[in-house]
Amino acid sequence: MAKPRELRRRIKSVENTRQITKTMEMVATSRLKRAQDRVRAARPYAEALTEVISNLYSPELTDLFPLLRQPRGDPSRVALILITSNRGLCGAFNGNLIRKAKERLSQYGVRGVPVELHGIGRKGIGYFKYVGHDLASERDDIGDRPKAHHAAEVMEPLMERFQTGELDAVEVIFAKFNSPLSTPPRLMPILPVTPPSDSGALRASEAAAAERPLQRRTVNFLLKPSAEGIVGAILPLYVRNSMYRALAETAASEHGARRTAMKSATDNAGEMLDVLRRNYNRARQAVITQELAEIVGGAEALKG
Amino acid sequence: MRVTIISPERSVFDGEATSVVAPAYDGMVGILPRHAPFMTLLGDGTLTVRQDDSTREFHVRGGFLQILDDTVNVVAEHAGGEGNE
Repeated sequence: MAKPRELRRRIKSVENTRQITKTMEMVATSRLKRAQDRVRAARPYAEALTEVISNLYSPELTDLFPLLRQPRGDPSRVALILITSNRGLCGAFNGNLIRKAKERLSQYGVRGVPVELHGIGRKGIGYFKYVGHDLASERDDIGDRPKAHHAAEVMEPLMERFQTGELDAVEVIFAKFNSPLSTPPRLMPILPVTPPSDSGALRASEAAAAERPLQRRTVNFLLKPSAEGIVGAILPLYVRNSMYRALAETAASEHGARRTAMKSATDNAGEMLDVLRRNYNRARQAVITQELAEIVGGAEALKG
Repeated sequence: MRVTIISPERSVFDGEATSVVAPAYDGMVGILPRHAPFMTLLGDGTLTVRQDDSTREFHVRGGFLQILDDTVNVVAEHAGGEGNE
């Protein structure tokens, strides 16, 4: 049996660890709250953009705007953006995102499509550097408080290259924020822009039918400069906003994942303390019992 | 009429107004209540919202403005609050 003194030392150390994980849990909870608010605050803008684009979109526009250009057959070059967190201690959060990215890379690898990987967040960058994978660009300065201009900076060069035909698709891997407990890694195609109306489960004909009443409504709008002009100006906004949403959701997910991880670490430390305390008390009792036995034994020996 | 101003990051303003002067892509646009459905792109400039007894100014850049059912929705790529930007 372990010595009481050793047990006491371990109890101290586990207590300290628990204190730290508990604090981190509380920090994550408060940051999560703010990150969640940001995700929620970003929703009206996204909805407004989506609504306008689905109202003004018509299939003929595809030829007019390079951002809508759909690739024929296999894309010739793809950019994959991987968003991870800058910090660890958030469970399998970054691991899941990285695994998703590897999955996508190997899917394209099998088809022989060249993919360039863009890393956002220290963890993903670190992993791919470690395995010796080249990164086309890396950013670790965005952190957990993404701003709209961050998304714009990331997307601007990619949009330009997509428009010139150098890239055929841009996809992003991020952590979808369903709830603080559910943050699955997701793959989201950003370019070409898929009009929101037919990205759902609707089939093409149903989508067209569903769109018609909306279009009739837009006829009444006075449009300045013109429907095409407006779509052309709003598409880049939509692209940038998709990216911003991915960044904001990943940031919120990170804090959710960290809170969960730290909560279970705190719980585990508590359980461990229970066992250690029990063992320590048992060992302490054993020592006392043994000392008593020795004293009694000694007294008996003196009598005799 | 109701006026909402939203930026990618948050909703900047939501309230009643008696008139709005907005910087469209080709010049200023004045909007009074019961305007016809209208949609235009925004330029860069100061958006003024007049309320019954006060005036509020916002800096907006990019995005669009939409009027529907006596509601002005300003969806700006960048929208700064009053005075501070």
